[in-house]
Amino acid sequence: MHEQSLFASVPVHQHHELLQQLAGLTAMQPRHCLERRLIFKAYRKPGMAGRIGASQDLQQGDLQRLNKMLNGNMYYTQVVGPVSESDFGSTAPVDQDTQMAGMDDSKPYDPSSPSYDYERQPWKLEFRDIPEAGTRSAVTSRLMSSATLPRGDVVEAMNAWGYHFITEYVVEGDMFVLNDIAIFLHRVLHYPGGDESNLPRRQLPALKDMALFEKSGSYVLQAFTIVQDGSNQETMKTASQHLFGLREQLKSAVLLEQADRLSLDTRAK
Amino acid sequence: MSNLTQEQIKVLEQSRQRLVQLTRSLGSLIASLNQSDPLPPWTSLQSQASIISNNLISVSDQLSDQRDLLSNLVAYPGPEYPGRTQANTLEQLLRTKLDPRVEDWVARGRAAGTESATTPSNFSDPDTAHKPLTDAQLAELWEWAPLEANQEARRRNWGGNFTLEEREAGIENVVTGLRRQLEDDDDGEEESEGEGEEGDGEEMDVVGVHRKPGAAEFEYNIAPHHPHPVQPFVPLDLILRYMTTGRMP
Repeated sequence: MHEQSLFASVPVHQHHELLQQLAGLTAMQPRHCLERRLIFKAYRKPGMAGRIGASQDLQQGDLQRLNKMLNGNMYYTQVVGPVSESDFGSTAPVDQDTQMAGMDDSKPYDPSSPSYDYERQPWKLEFRDIPEAGTRSAVTSRLMSSATLPRGDVVEAMNAWGYHFITEYVVEGDMFVLNDIAIFLHRVLHYPGGDESNLPRRQLPALKDMALFEKSGSYVLQAFTIVQDGSNQETMKTASQHLFGLREQLKSAVLLEQADRLSLDTRAK
Repeated sequence: MSNLTQEQIKVLEQSRQRLVQLTRSLGSLIASLNQSDPLPPWTSLQSQASIISNNLISVSDQLSDQRDLLSNLVAYPGPEYPGRTQANTLEQLLRTKLDPRVEDWVARGRAAGTESATTPSNFSDPDTAHKPLTDAQLAELWEWAPLEANQEARRRNWGGNFTLEEREAGIENVVTGLRRQLEDDDDGEEESEGEGEEGDGEEMDVVGVHRKPGAAEFEYNIAPHHPHPVQPFVPLDLILRYMTTGRMP
């Protein structure tokens, strides 16, 4: 899948107005979203890369593919979990149903279950490539893919796939949909304290204690379209034209632009 | 009259060169007006016009400098001139009066020249130097100006007394033409109190005039204008970088 997007920075004083304008434009009420986002970074497992012995059974093509997978570029990837406002700072009852969710193997069950039910938190793995370079159209176009992960603790599974946890933050924002374009007006919230633990938090602080990443409270406006078949030039072109149409409509309110390619560089160096 | 000296021939040759340049630049202006679609940008038209006017000046200088020689010269066909085959050219060369069309131009040019020479060109007497606009012209101007000003205004992000360009170049250098001191920031409540009415008026200007109803464009929005704008501290790309890799700016 390909994601084509345009970005804009929205100063906080314009936020309310823009919400109303977007609601008018899309003829829908904003859908408020809160997401936990965990950042994982790929690492090269020692001993994995060079180990191509005992490969008699592998076809030459397979071997090449395997080598490429093991030695190719490594990427940052995100694990995204929707949360609700009530999850923040809540002291949810310790529901023993968690054990049911822990049916998938290898999940340690923690009896001192946290307030917010981390074990039942749904997760989605979202991969995004670095945006394509040198495209002539002025939209940010990048390869993307997502997959649903088992509920609960993802760190172990991610570790097994060669990713380790870097940091996490919360994205707060409002979502609109206009025809085939999704419009997401959002900003990043930090956990208070800021000490980076090496694991995702099992409970969430009160929402009002969350700190703004951008101190002035500005928002990021992202308008994006996801194209199933990125190799189809026609659909890609249609998608970017729709985005340009939206940019024209919003021209007097915000200036949607292509993002700096390197700022969306997901390659792990 | 005796034969021409080398020097005189040189003068004639120079005049010819300048006339050729003039016709060339006129020709290229005509061609660009005729052929390019849409019309060439005004900057290129203007530069072409200034080239033409420079050419005209040099032709006119040349003609007036060499007036004595040129007015004394007489053209006549030599015996070896092919008079039968080139009769048209010969006639053109031997004309002593101007072409009727050309005479018209000259008469018009003379009239325009004498008019501007006789009217005083200083501004102290506005009645003659500046004809006031007619009512129709005034109406046209008023119809055009608010829309145009508003469109210009919409291109800007309002919320201050100075534009970004001006601020970058240093606001001390801006010529405002105002006696009172403009403040750079909008932090002053006292400012809005002091000139409350005026401030309101300014806001109205930005949002007041809309495109004519019925114009196809879907303009639902007004220029963002906020009494207390807070510009983001962290640029967009750093936010995106943090969101992608978790790297703090």
